[in-house]
Amino acid sequence: MRRRTVLAAGLLAAPLAACSGGDTEGDRVFRQFDPADQAAGLLDAVELWNEEHPDYRVSMETLSPNNPQQFAREANAGSGPDIAQLAFTDVSFMAEPRILTPLDAVMEASPAEGADELLATDMTTYEGSMWAVPWTADTMALVYRPDVLERIGVTETPRDWEDLAEIAAKLTRDAGGRVHGFLFPAGAQFSSAQWFPINYHLWAHGSQLIESEGGIWRPGVETGQLVETIEYFDAFFTDGITPTSMQAVTDYGDPSIVGALGDGSCGMTFMPPAAFRAAQSAVDAELLTAPMPAGLEDGTTHLGGRALGINANCAEPEAAWEFVKHLLGPETFETYPQYPASSSTIEQIEVDPSEQGFVEQLPHAASFARYADAPMTIASLQELVNQQFSAVYSGQSSPEQAAGRIIATLEDELEE
Amino acid sequence: MTTAPSRAVSAQRMRRLQPYLLSAPALAVIALLFLAPSIYNVILALQSLSPYQAPGDGEWVGLENFTALWGDPEFGRAAFNTVFWLTGMTVVLRILAGIGLALALESPVLRRWKLRGFSRTVILLPWMVPQVVAIAAWRWILDGDSGILNQVLSALGLTDGGVPFLALTSTVWWSIVAIIVWRELPFVVMVMVAGLQSIPSEQYEAAAVDGAGRWGLFRSVTLPGLRPVLTIVVLVTVIQTFNNFVYVWLTTGGGPGNYTAVLATELYNAAFFDNELGAGAAIGLVMTAIMAVFAVIYLRMTSAREESR
Repeated sequence: MRRRTVLAAGLLAAPLAACSGGDTEGDRVFRQFDPADQAAGLLDAVELWNEEHPDYRVSMETLSPNNPQQFAREANAGSGPDIAQLAFTDVSFMAEPRILTPLDAVMEASPAEGADELLATDMTTYEGSMWAVPWTADTMALVYRPDVLERIGVTETPRDWEDLAEIAAKLTRDAGGRVHGFLFPAGAQFSSAQWFPINYHLWAHGSQLIESEGGIWRPGVETGQLVETIEYFDAFFTDGITPTSMQAVTDYGDPSIVGALGDGSCGMTFMPPAAFRAAQSAVDAELLTAPMPAGLEDGTTHLGGRALGINANCAEPEAAWEFVKHLLGPETFETYPQYPASSSTIEQIEVDPSEQGFVEQLPHAASFARYADAPMTIASLQELVNQQFSAVYSGQSSPEQAAGRIIATLEDELEE
Repeated sequence: MTTAPSRAVSAQRMRRLQPYLLSAPALAVIALLFLAPSIYNVILALQSLSPYQAPGDGEWVGLENFTALWGDPEFGRAAFNTVFWLTGMTVVLRILAGIGLALALESPVLRRWKLRGFSRTVILLPWMVPQVVAIAAWRWILDGDSGILNQVLSALGLTDGGVPFLALTSTVWWSIVAIIVWRELPFVVMVMVAGLQSIPSEQYEAAAVDGAGRWGLFRSVTLPGLRPVLTIVVLVTVIQTFNNFVYVWLTTGGGPGNYTAVLATELYNAAFFDNELGAGAAIGLVMTAIMAVFAVIYLRMTSAREESR
């Protein structure tokens, strides 16, 4: 009976018959890791799908923060959610042990809207196959208080890193130290957001931490350049532009940064879109975004984001793919406050003028694919770099010592 | 047909087997929940396996994960921090403060003012706060800009501008130690109170008759009376603290730099950031070996106490 109904409904309905073998709500699970307060719009998109597809209902599961290793444990044990939100950087880890379903066949059979203009596909492709589909895109933009900058006669945001240091220093100097020209989280933890501007600075100066040539990985930065980058960020502390307390902060949305934006004691910082919106809602003053220093040059900022993958244990991946296609569509982004990872979809959504910095920078941002698939994980790189920069800020190492340790560790790890 | 002697033989056999049969379920639980994971940990330590791979997909690497630790300065620093700061310093301070507070709680003054129950409840409060909540609260207290401690110090004129306690090498370990001592002290205090109450009052009276002063009473009666309890408390707190991960991880994540890295955070980094479960398992085994020494001492002392009863 069911088979007849499915056939009558046509080819599109066929894949929707079942995934994971169940046919009741809850059997098909979509797992996402946005915090609950940012996922309300996504839930609306899932409910919209459920209204339109009563025979293939999906329940949304929130597991925040991102825990790809839990997905791997479940998938390796033959279970796990049918569809999962994945960070770009995690896709290759899932592809290697084949715990995701390769999507090439379903994408070819039933193409998604805007699929030929997807961003960051280099992060979701592994050994020639597409293992997840890029879904949302983000980057770090410069966030600033225009009134604070105007007070010292600055009407344009910094174009390059040297410009940023000069403006930040002037902001602090002219305010007699009451304003911190540039605040950035400088904690030692692997999750510390200083990782982003450190890389942006290196990339803007023609270097990157590691590089691959003919499949052989090696450090992609000279000691001299690394010392220069370390000294650049350390100078914010030694010159009193950034308070030492930032060395214990890891998150760009830390209350101390948002609070300083609110009371005008912070001129500039950086944030991704979700954190910027949260800061905007918490602060009475006007906040604007601009591209990061050198952010309009190709490949000098990162293109981050999330992808959607289908569990290798999903019994009917075609059905799951139809749900993925729904999430990729522009209707989702009407309620889900993220930028789509498709240049054609992004043109269809309305963006608040205050977020102009993200919109301008995104087309120039490049993914972390340059570090992907190396013998050293991106998380290990983050841990190493954040620790060594932090060691300099706290006076445990000189820039030369820290740079030497970074290069030596990179050489060791990449050799393995 | 069974004869009476053969029935007697089988009954005798059953009686012999009875202890083994009765203890079999408990042994099975121990084997399943403790022995099997331990053996698996040893197997993991000899492999290279990522958390994304299935358990059977590891590559055998022999003792490589252990030899990599040998001479690794990061591991050496983490081991020193674990032994000296995380365990040694916090246990010593907890014991000293625990004895002091237990004596205060048992003082006649509190009894006279009927404040003993209230004081004990107040002392217990930190222990009732989940570790994660306690650490989050302390992070706010110690915040370099808006932390209440900095506001108090500034109001008293003791500091000029905020002190980022968790960012400076001169203050970060003392901050972590303060958090641990604050949160874990009640256990020590309560055990010490019980220890003090077990000392017969006649001993104090006899010592007082012999002319002992306050210090003399403490040295000759209280301390010897507390010794059995003290030994057990030291061992238990050492074992509990040595393996602790959350205090350092949630307070500093091992920073600034890797100044506060401990063995548990190194294990976590190796297993879940470097994606080397084998390396993490190797660190775990080293930690287990160190703790086994304390566990053996603890077991010997507790069994000696039981025998002496």
